[in-house]
Amino acid sequence: MLKPKQMSRAVIVGHKNILEETVDALHKANLFHIEDFNEDGSDLKIGKPFESGSEVSKKLVKIRSIASLLGVKDVAVEKQSPSEVCSQLDSSLDKLDNELEVLAEKKHVLENELKEIGSSKKDLLPFINIDLDLDLYRGYANLAVFAGHVKENVEPSISKITSSYELYHDQHSGVVVLFVAKDKASDVAEVLAGASFKELRVPVLSGVPSRLLADIEQKEVDVTRKIEAINTEIEALKLKYADFILASNELLSIEVQKSEAPLRIATTESSFLIDGWLPTEQYAELERTVNAATNGRAFVSDQEITKPDIKKVPIEYNNPKVVSPLQEIMDLYGRPTYKELDPSALIFITFPLLYGMILGDIGYALILLVLALAIKKIVSSDAIKPLMNILIYCQVSTLFFGILYGEFLGFPLAGYHGNPGLIPGFETIDLLATPFPGEVIGFPLHRTHLVMTFIVATVIVGLLHLNLGYAVGFINEKRKHGISAAIFEKGSWFVVQFGILLTVLGYLGMLPPVAGIVVFLIGVVMLVKGEGVKGPIELPSLLSNSLSYTRIIAVGLSSISIASTVNLIAFGMIWPPGSPIGGMTIFAIVVFLFGHALNTALSIIAPGLHALRLQYVEFFGKFYEGGGRKYDPFGYIRKYTEEK
Amino acid sequence: MVTETVTMMDPAGLKAIGAALAVGLTGFASAYAEKEIGTAAIGAMAENESLFGKGLILTVIPETIVIFGLVVALLML
Repeated sequence: MLKPKQMSRAVIVGHKNILEETVDALHKANLFHIEDFNEDGSDLKIGKPFESGSEVSKKLVKIRSIASLLGVKDVAVEKQSPSEVCSQLDSSLDKLDNELEVLAEKKHVLENELKEIGSSKKDLLPFINIDLDLDLYRGYANLAVFAGHVKENVEPSISKITSSYELYHDQHSGVVVLFVAKDKASDVAEVLAGASFKELRVPVLSGVPSRLLADIEQKEVDVTRKIEAINTEIEALKLKYADFILASNELLSIEVQKSEAPLRIATTESSFLIDGWLPTEQYAELERTVNAATNGRAFVSDQEITKPDIKKVPIEYNNPKVVSPLQEIMDLYGRPTYKELDPSALIFITFPLLYGMILGDIGYALILLVLALAIKKIVSSDAIKPLMNILIYCQVSTLFFGILYGEFLGFPLAGYHGNPGLIPGFETIDLLATPFPGEVIGFPLHRTHLVMTFIVATVIVGLLHLNLGYAVGFINEKRKHGISAAIFEKGSWFVVQFGILLTVLGYLGMLPPVAGIVVFLIGVVMLVKGEGVKGPIELPSLLSNSLSYTRIIAVGLSSISIASTVNLIAFGMIWPPGSPIGGMTIFAIVVFLFGHALNTALSIIAPGLHALRLQYVEFFGKFYEGGGRKYDPFGYIRKYTEEK
Repeated sequence: MVTETVTMMDPAGLKAIGAALAVGLTGFASAYAEKEIGTAAIGAMAENESLFGKGLILTVIPETIVIFGLVVALLML
């Protein structure tokens, strides 16, 4: 559990004429992480892709372009038999491609038409209220035609220049059409410029604008309807072929992956050599698979893992199913390296624990629990599921702490010092006095009244968590560099802390004060020997890291404050209990729902982020290096087609 | 008599002002630091999406400042 899977390095060697069978078998087995071969000047060369490759990739490109054109999404469909898909692949692909091409072409033409209609409509609109055939706008020898927008009525000024004119004015839109004799044109143009005249293009059409517009609009409707019909056809194609597209995409992807495999493999004139990794427990299976596929003509050998190799070992987690969602959190930070402890199982306990301590509210726990379960049920995505599982773990812990703290949506469940609680007759039981005035530990624990106690308690929680980190670090160091390095590098921190504890006891007069100081100094000397100058510089981090855990109470209190403010506004200010139900009641309910919805969203983000940070910065900082490579076996997990 | 009452300051009020300063100023400090880190982290993520985890951690590191401010405020009140 606390270690990644044990890995073996294997090399498969054989004659080139069995390469295809070998690759096929490896791909199907999906367990061998191929180490990409880099040419290193030796006689070994990178292999050439199988011949079928280029043909298959062409088809794959085609199917992917069709899929994106049709908007085919990854959905759960029934698995299909690969032989069936293969047999109809070429014919169906061609047919689909042709059909789609015709439709796309038609659609393209119609869309262009629609664009043209739109632009001529735009040109026509200004003239709509001027009842004049468009043919009358052109073709005069002695007449000038002005058509455009003006800001004011120009008729009086024009009548001063000439009496022979014809003016059409649309008061509403400010469009004028003016016919004047050519010799007066320049004077008239000046007047028009004074009225900020803006010329309009006269559409090259014949007929009265209002009637033309009706025609154009009719045409627009027709074209739009045609486009819609084509869209329906495309949609029908999508429905009809979605299964086929998904399945053949998968098949072709697999084929391409296989045919390109030689590019990762070392070859000579007549032989090949595949180098890679796999979990040791599956080594026998690899041998069996390769032997079966090649009639024993390929040779599988187990390689010794040398020291420089250890950095390269791909990492596969080895956790029980319950813990596996937490691997997502590990991956976010970086996989462990081969010789390191895998802390997923530790996080499995501490992450929900810290989250619960921060949030600790029955109401929010129930809301988020239901939410997480619902999302898990509805969404089938593989990326969401682990996250929802983590959320569920966290809410179980929140529920526990919620009962401990006696909180429900920011209301205290139990009465305390005369203040009534949510449950009538449930009074806080005082159990234990603390050194802080006015703070008594009882059940339920009132966080708001036990601030000092909680600050101290969270620091203690922090110290426990940090020491767990040092302990794991001790084990890691021992495995990597031996026991003495572990004692000086990580063990010294325990000595330092013990020294501080003794000093405190000495200060309280229970011990001679010198003892603590001596132990502390021994610890510092060990630290310097273990980590060099860097060690003592890191000493203050002991203080800052453990104080960092006070966020458990600080963030928790801020969440309570938001919740109780919402409650106060809703119940105290807007809807005093006992008042008759009216408009304000509804408003109060809206405030209540909205406020708590907001706080619920914050309840995922704030405690989640802070719990995560405590893991990553404070806890991991004590032992974790990470940066391991992901174990990525050569193969494919089929979703849409059955295994051959 | 009158001047005396005017110049008297309520200790509870001063405490409240101190607490407000502790939370407010540290809030500004965290926000400023997170802004700088956040923009850089988003830039890095645009290049390489797998840096999300590291970016997130780096962005929340200065959050400690405001948490300490909050704790100080709690101690004062």
